[in-house]
Amino acid sequence: MPLLAARDVSKAFFGNPVLRGVSIVLMPGRIHALLGENGAGKSTLINLLSGALPADGGAIEINGKAIAHMSPGEAQKAGIAVVQQELSLTGSLSIAENIGLGAYPRRFGLIDYPALAAGAKAVCERVGLNEPLSTPVGQLSLGRRQMVEIAKALYREPRVLILDEPTSSLSAAETKTLIGLLGELRRDGVAILYISHRLNEVMAIAEHVTVLKDGVRTADQPLAGTDAAGLVRLMVGRDPGDLFPHWQPATERTAVLTVTGFSAGMVRGVDLTVKAGEVLGIGGLVGQGQEELLLGLYGALPAKAASATVGDARELPRNVPKANAAGIAYIPADRKREGLHLIHSILTNIMLPTFSRVPALKPRSRSSERRTAEQLARRFTIKGDLARPAQALSGGNQQKVALAKWMPQDPAVLLLNDPTRGVDVETKREIYIMLRDLAAAGKAVVLLSSDTPELVHLCDRVVVLREGRISALIERQDLSEEAIVSAAVGVEPQKAAA
Amino acid sequence: MSLAANSSQGVNPLYWPVQMRRNIGVRGLFLVILAFIIAYGILFPGLFSVFGFAKFTQSWFPLALVTMAQAILMLAGGISLAIGPLVSLGAVIAATTMTQSLGIAGGTAAVTLAGLVIGAATGLIVVKLRLPSIVVTLAGSFIIAGAALLILPRPGGTMPPWVSNLLAGGTPAAFGLLVLVVLAWKLYLATPLGLSLYAAGENPVGTYRSGASVDTALIAAYAISGLLCTGAGLFVAAQTGSGDPVIGQSFTLNSIAAAVLGGVGFLGGQGTMRGALAGSLLLSLMISVMFFLGFTPVAQYIAQGLIIVGAVALPQIRGMRK
Repeated sequence: MPLLAARDVSKAFFGNPVLRGVSIVLMPGRIHALLGENGAGKSTLINLLSGALPADGGAIEINGKAIAHMSPGEAQKAGIAVVQQELSLTGSLSIAENIGLGAYPRRFGLIDYPALAAGAKAVCERVGLNEPLSTPVGQLSLGRRQMVEIAKALYREPRVLILDEPTSSLSAAETKTLIGLLGELRRDGVAILYISHRLNEVMAIAEHVTVLKDGVRTADQPLAGTDAAGLVRLMVGRDPGDLFPHWQPATERTAVLTVTGFSAGMVRGVDLTVKAGEVLGIGGLVGQGQEELLLGLYGALPAKAASATVGDARELPRNVPKANAAGIAYIPADRKREGLHLIHSILTNIMLPTFSRVPALKPRSRSSERRTAEQLARRFTIKGDLARPAQALSGGNQQKVALAKWMPQDPAVLLLNDPTRGVDVETKREIYIMLRDLAAAGKAVVLLSSDTPELVHLCDRVVVLREGRISALIERQDLSEEAIVSAAVGVEPQKAAA
Repeated sequence: MSLAANSSQGVNPLYWPVQMRRNIGVRGLFLVILAFIIAYGILFPGLFSVFGFAKFTQSWFPLALVTMAQAILMLAGGISLAIGPLVSLGAVIAATTMTQSLGIAGGTAAVTLAGLVIGAATGLIVVKLRLPSIVVTLAGSFIIAGAALLILPRPGGTMPPWVSNLLAGGTPAAFGLLVLVVLAWKLYLATPLGLSLYAAGENPVGTYRSGASVDTALIAAYAISGLLCTGAGLFVAAQTGSGDPVIGQSFTLNSIAAAVLGGVGFLGGQGTMRGALAGSLLLSLMISVMFFLGFTPVAQYIAQGLIIVGAVALPQIRGMRK
């Protein structure tokens, strides 16, 4: 008897279908993995299962009974707990107050603090949180907050536990604790739905797998007898190799940006050369200083360098306009907040950087603006009417606009911060082709990516950062996922396997 | 060591440590207030007599209430521009009902009800229609100010003399009342609904997904805020012995100033009520000390503004140094 099931559910946002007729069945005492690329619809499915969003079509069943409308509070009462990827915690409240939120024990209408303390202490011990329970959550590191989030879910004594990428911000020791814990819960008969991008982790702990691709279920099967490559094919829908364009390494490569002893934020003592015509990858685990490196080069973060050559200048750009003038453009990761002005039209977004280049009081030429924007829209295959607001576009098209807007300035160096995050596969491929084309046209492309295959298949060289320092500079002939991951976690790659 | 500290507190090993943590951010403020109280005492030694204490706390009391009203909404992630008009409305309702038709009990009930209903209605509009509180309370301020003028077009009405004597006479009854209000707030914050105000103000989506009722927490906050404002109005009417339809005007901005001075942030869920109260006390002290130092009213305003900007900028500047 399944504890929780979705039958044929569908969901669309602003007319874009995100889930189409997806079913999933969670059984007691089973760890069920949910796989899929970013944007495949995993988070939406979780939101439907936990009552955070209503389904457009299909049914959610608890213990075999269809539930017409379910709020998160009702889902919680039915024993469904979710460990969200976006944290649900309140920084100003203590660990214990966060753990109990929405399910406080009461005594005469007041929060029963002694009972809360006892309950919170028990779950904190299970997940290995040893900070005082009165510590405000805002003072904890991201990984510790994730553990509080897990403790919060456990506090509700769930019969169904849904974890959305719980290990992405955890240390190796914390991950081990979590995996041990999941084994215990499974023995207690809890139904567990586990979402992760780390295939090895999934292969190690899960028994059953459901794969989503572009909102459709492409597999639902026991995990026994499947191999990792097979799973990747189901997620991507093609061989990984086909995703990337074929390209020739640049022949003539002159340095356009050189820094030595570069420091910005947590980045310390980095020596780096970026050459025209190449795609230079920047990799590493999340939050090792990659973003600070880009922002420092872009003049958006205070930075220092022992020596710097940027184009003709002998110093780092001190602010963003100086960086732009020196031919550097930056495409941020958070395109909705930093990359675009969502309520404004595609045309305005594309032309915005150009406005700073024309005399401030010169009347705008609408026709030439339209011509430029139309050319760029065609070149970058941006779909849709240029007068529509940028928020009406899909994530992939938004990314193309965020990239296209710099082209009228003809930048020599493009700094890209995870440009394919949350972008569908088709657009990913288009972006890859664009990046290689830009490199072939003599631009220097710096690609920060959290997607290791991207670094392997698209880059001439890859710099791996660890704790703010360069832990490896890997040339094209030595590039492999193993080499990058080994450098990221700080171990030597196994020569025997190579 | 922390274990020993926990067990020595015996009864409640979580509540008190949480309370102590909340003090950390306001310690500096408490020191500044102490300095001002000493300065005040030197300038006006009468402060330490019963009468002097009574008069000072009476001048502080309405500001303390409206600052709490404002701080509650700021913790809820909003702000109110209708504080002043609500005070005026409370004052005119009290001055027109308590010596006439409704009597003292009836008048107090009318003031209470007006605050709760108007507050809850504002909250309902903000929460259910997802409108920014600044816009809703701006519109509300016009409506409420108009209503106050309709009830009492020019200053007038009367308050029962013994109410005036009790609240604004020679005894520190107002201070006692403030202590009760603060205790009631502590009690409210110890309920699930009260504590979820912090969560709902800082992270509404996360709070909703945690199964706590965000809407109820916010609407309750608006209702309580309204009640505190009309209650302050009743007190102001007792102080002056009559009603004035525009007497509350200065409270809107002063409540924001005091809350900000007390470390309450604009983003929701940031700050503490003890900080806000300390902020209102500091503002009252500043006004009194400057009065005794012989500042002209204009100079007082300028000095007040400079001190507020300085106080808010100080942590920022310290943060940049790091």
